[in-house]
Amino acid sequence: MQSVDFSRDVLPILSNKCFVCHGPSSEDPDQLRLDTEALATSDRGGYRAIDQAKPNKSAVLERLHSADEPMPPADAEKQLTDSERAILSAWVKQGGKYTKHWAFVAPVITPTKSAPDATGSAALDAYIKDALKAAKASLHKPADKTTIARRVSLVLTGLPPELDVLNAYLADDSDSAYETLVDTLLASPRYGEHQARFWLDAVRYGDTHGLHLDNRRGIYPYRDWVIGAMNDNLPLDTFIRWQLAGDLLPNPTLEQRVATGFVRMNPSTAEGGAIPAEFQAKNNFDRTETLGTVLLGMTLTCARCHTHKYDPITQTEYYQLFAFFNSTAENSMDGNSYTYAPILHAPKDQAGWIQWKQIERDRLALINASDKDVRKSLAENEGALTAWNNGGLDEKLALLADPHGGLKESTHHQKAVFIKAAIDTASKEFTTTLVTKDLDKPRETKILRRGEYNLPIGDALEPGVLSVMGTLPEDAPKNRLGLSDWLLSDEHPLVSRVLVNRIWQRVFGHAIVRTPEDFGLQGQHPTHPELLDWLAVELRQTDWNLKAMLKMMVMSDTFRQSSSRRRDLDDPENTLFGRGPSYRLDAEALRDIGLWSSGLMDPHMGGEGVKPYQPAGMWKALAHPGSNTKQYVQDKGALLYRRSIYIYWKRTSPHPMMTLFDAPDRESSCVRRARTNTALQSLGLLNEIQRIEMAHGVAERLLKQADSTEERLDLLFKLLTSRSPTKREAEACNTLLSIMLERFEAAPNDALELLAIGENTRDESLDAETLAAWTQIAVTVLASDPAILVY
Amino acid sequence: MISHKYNPILSRRQMLASCGVGMGMVGLQPLLAESTSSSYSSKQPHHKPVAKHVIHIFLNGGLSHIDTFDPKPLLDKYNGKPLPIENLETERATGNAYASPFKFRKHGESGIEVSEIFPHTAANIDDICVIRSAYADVPNHEPSFLLWNCGEARLPRPSMGSWVTYGLGTENQNLPGFVALCPQGLPTQGVENWRSSFLPGAFQGVHVDTQFSEVEKLIENIKNGQFDDRSQRKQLDLLAAFNRRHLEQRGFDPALEAQIQSFELAYRMQTEAAEAFNLSDEPQYIHDMYGDTVQSKTMLTARRLVERGVRFVQVWYSGGQPWDNHDNINIHATLAKNIDQGIGALIRDLKQRGLLEETLILCGGEFGRTPTVELPRPVLNAGKQLGRDHNHYGFSVWMAGGGIKGGTVYGSTDETGWKAEENPVHVHDIHATMLHQLGFNHERFTYRHAGRDFRLTDVHGHVIHDILN
Repeated sequence: MQSVDFSRDVLPILSNKCFVCHGPSSEDPDQLRLDTEALATSDRGGYRAIDQAKPNKSAVLERLHSADEPMPPADAEKQLTDSERAILSAWVKQGGKYTKHWAFVAPVITPTKSAPDATGSAALDAYIKDALKAAKASLHKPADKTTIARRVSLVLTGLPPELDVLNAYLADDSDSAYETLVDTLLASPRYGEHQARFWLDAVRYGDTHGLHLDNRRGIYPYRDWVIGAMNDNLPLDTFIRWQLAGDLLPNPTLEQRVATGFVRMNPSTAEGGAIPAEFQAKNNFDRTETLGTVLLGMTLTCARCHTHKYDPITQTEYYQLFAFFNSTAENSMDGNSYTYAPILHAPKDQAGWIQWKQIERDRLALINASDKDVRKSLAENEGALTAWNNGGLDEKLALLADPHGGLKESTHHQKAVFIKAAIDTASKEFTTTLVTKDLDKPRETKILRRGEYNLPIGDALEPGVLSVMGTLPEDAPKNRLGLSDWLLSDEHPLVSRVLVNRIWQRVFGHAIVRTPEDFGLQGQHPTHPELLDWLAVELRQTDWNLKAMLKMMVMSDTFRQSSSRRRDLDDPENTLFGRGPSYRLDAEALRDIGLWSSGLMDPHMGGEGVKPYQPAGMWKALAHPGSNTKQYVQDKGALLYRRSIYIYWKRTSPHPMMTLFDAPDRESSCVRRARTNTALQSLGLLNEIQRIEMAHGVAERLLKQADSTEERLDLLFKLLTSRSPTKREAEACNTLLSIMLERFEAAPNDALELLAIGENTRDESLDAETLAAWTQIAVTVLASDPAILVY
Repeated sequence: MISHKYNPILSRRQMLASCGVGMGMVGLQPLLAESTSSSYSSKQPHHKPVAKHVIHIFLNGGLSHIDTFDPKPLLDKYNGKPLPIENLETERATGNAYASPFKFRKHGESGIEVSEIFPHTAANIDDICVIRSAYADVPNHEPSFLLWNCGEARLPRPSMGSWVTYGLGTENQNLPGFVALCPQGLPTQGVENWRSSFLPGAFQGVHVDTQFSEVEKLIENIKNGQFDDRSQRKQLDLLAAFNRRHLEQRGFDPALEAQIQSFELAYRMQTEAAEAFNLSDEPQYIHDMYGDTVQSKTMLTARRLVERGVRFVQVWYSGGQPWDNHDNINIHATLAKNIDQGIGALIRDLKQRGLLEETLILCGGEFGRTPTVELPRPVLNAGKQLGRDHNHYGFSVWMAGGGIKGGTVYGSTDETGWKAEENPVHVHDIHATMLHQLGFNHERFTYRHAGRDFRLTDVHGHVIHDILN
């Protein structure tokens, strides 16, 4: 047998088959422990389980192959396979050396063999190509131009390319054509709406409290802030720091405080009889474990009740991590209130945010520009000078704008008055949003025996971090800000890997670690460990620049390969990434593509969640009679046609066209959606109200913007597939079209009935039967694989 | 059972390569195939199943065992007087012994005693095993509903029907594998009784209110009002043409093949689902056999679903918790009258179609009722002393078909009917036994969620081998 890698080959076996008795949670001091090298190799009275000096004398070897006293014991639930036995034996014979689980060692760059000096996309490709080479293969042929234009547009913005963007790209023969396309897409406001979705799944964003009455919760300014942060390309470390601890930064801005809605995202209750102390614990279990999934790629739930069975995380460390969140100021019961305090007033949509951020920039520029002058003019006035020096931005602006103050003659006064007025006007439009604040005096945290809120044991714990992932930086405060320092430090082994793994997942369809929620011992080994580490380091070294990371990925040859199956490479799961991504689009994208192609899409960004069509009674069937979300009041007008990220997310009953296509309920973190395929989806795609309405919209557009059947089909295909129909496709459409025309001419009332579906009224200048026939063509093409898959 | 190496979602191929447990378990991994084929395909369990379908008749509210399947002559002796043993603690206060107002009579060759309010059920007693020693955990409806249906009284867990459909798939690709039939609204605890919880959503029960008969009210988006069959077929032909072309261009891809199949299934469902729920094509003698109450018709629907390959059917008496007769146990007679003929007909009908052997029927409430009378409280039972409170310490449920030994009684309550005494059977034991008959070792039938393997029976449950053929 060839050389065995402990972390890749051995540790997963030990973890899965042995640690349940011989692992970190063993309480019997005499029990053999295999989870640390020192314990596994210790003298057990004349023999060692693993004898590194005389490997062949290791007791483990004998027990592994013993017929009388086999290990695992004959009645153990988890038995070893022959190949696992062989791996363990080979490892012991090689000396039984331990190394740390790969994910707990900080990533370092291992240059590729074939192109050690390559950077950017070329380096990425080199990692992929080297692995393919080991499998005696190379990259697949490139995808054609139209396919790649559609693919990259869907990956970056969640929509196909706009026709003018597509045509410009197709007409551009220069070497930079593709890069120009990518830059255009990255600059589109649609980019942020699409990228934010993945984060909202991970943080379990919802518009209701989730438990008991599942009442309304006012927190959508957070959602809009996330979208804005994506479009502004806020560096990911800053993005995370503000969410964890924006309120603890010096003189926090509105943005920084709204971002702390992240901490408040746990489902909550106000059920009569529920015990506040119990929910204080539960809310923080939820936060701690969500942090584990989203940033650490760790399942922490085990350690709530006992030391983790597989990963080196003690129950004490769990509660030390928990302690970071345990001092927040909100009541543990939500009072069924929309304004579950603490709250803040914040912009009510994206336009409001853009305006607000501009005002803040202007204010900061003004204060900075005026500082010197102000100090000079206040030199004589000690009180005012102190007020200036100690004041935050708000106070400074107030001083500068005060019509009766000492600065009314300042050259900056007029501008200050202007900015202050802008602030007052903007804030009048604000709505409320849940934010995080800490208590003045921290709440005491103790270990809870078996995770029971009423069974605290031992001494009070200081907030602390998981020791297997390093230590809290020395100067870091013991609060959420310190927590973010630890997470975002260069030494942290997991955060950048976990983030970059999920970025890869949304670009390439599958992640490098295919269990993005679990990088621990029970998780999957990366398909390309060196690539993952290089990407993780690259993310940090490019100042956590998400757009740059995405650009590098989509510019790679790996991304631009054809997605067709290969006869020369046996890799059904695409673990080698030897072909381009191919998968069914997410629920939101499916709906958005229909709205966009029909021209019905309302581009308005942000605001309270919208309520498009849904079958009657869905909320009522589930809701508590006292709930304020038991009645679904469908919206009217433009609100029906907003992008799907803005759909109202009731946690106990998300929109059925979202859940039908595998959107999560947002009660708990989701970093990887399932991709199922059921007949109910097919029924939904063909018959649901909004699908018909979209198809009607597409048909009107085709009839108005193109004159002949040929041109209309061409436009339809350009919109949905970024290419013209093939001859066969056009013929098939023509056949259906003539059957439909015949049918609707024979029964004109059916045409009117079809066109009456949905709130969007028909354009009476168009012939109803023709429009109905084209509607049927559109609904069909909208439901077809060329339109609903990435490929 | 899922033998992970280090990946909770192994590919089918990896699974075959890495686990030494053999082919039998492969079928239990529908998730493996989630992006490559329908999660509903028929699958193989741990051992050869005896039963292929389950009908769970839930007499929601709490069927009184003392008035139906567990005669207690001692109560006649003490009627109106205190029992010689102390009353157990239940939801509300109860008083003196309260003899059943109904008469019991021996039935069938087995001579098992059943009360007069279930004559049609009793006529089939030789196919039935009455478990007289069932017990649950608490005397409250909500947790007991969840315990029976999901194996856990408090936390969100998948229902038994979800587990079974997850494990076995369905035999009819044109219908949902797990259906909850409940006329007139939702039972207490609503949709949680048939939720899939952490199992994939495809395994959630589909609720059908059997007071309706139009298929549009049963399955969302099932009909397209503007299409006749021919136009719809043409539309699907076009769709299939596009999808085939897409598939051809990319070479072999099971996900794309499945996508094509889904549309065809949807098309077939439009006809088949409508057909399955349409009772009008049953001959008159069948209608006569079942009777014409909504409960009896629901039994007939259950038979039609099982016949068409639906894996798991919950049949609820009706919305709410009608059997909860705190203030007047005589209401049991009316309730029984509505459903008894349907139950009797179901057993006979399944038998005459050769389906009883492969269909496991479970019938009972979430708990039994007290042998003592419930004491009146203002408002609640209006001064009357004719009812019984909840009793989870001992009660009766019965099973039939699916390899269950008919004409038998298993276990008993004590002389008063308060508490399971001989061979007590917990809800988990019934689940373990049912899974056994369906081909599963309940201890190995697990699903990985939140870092650990979950079971329907959690860490409990014993198969009751004595009641199996």
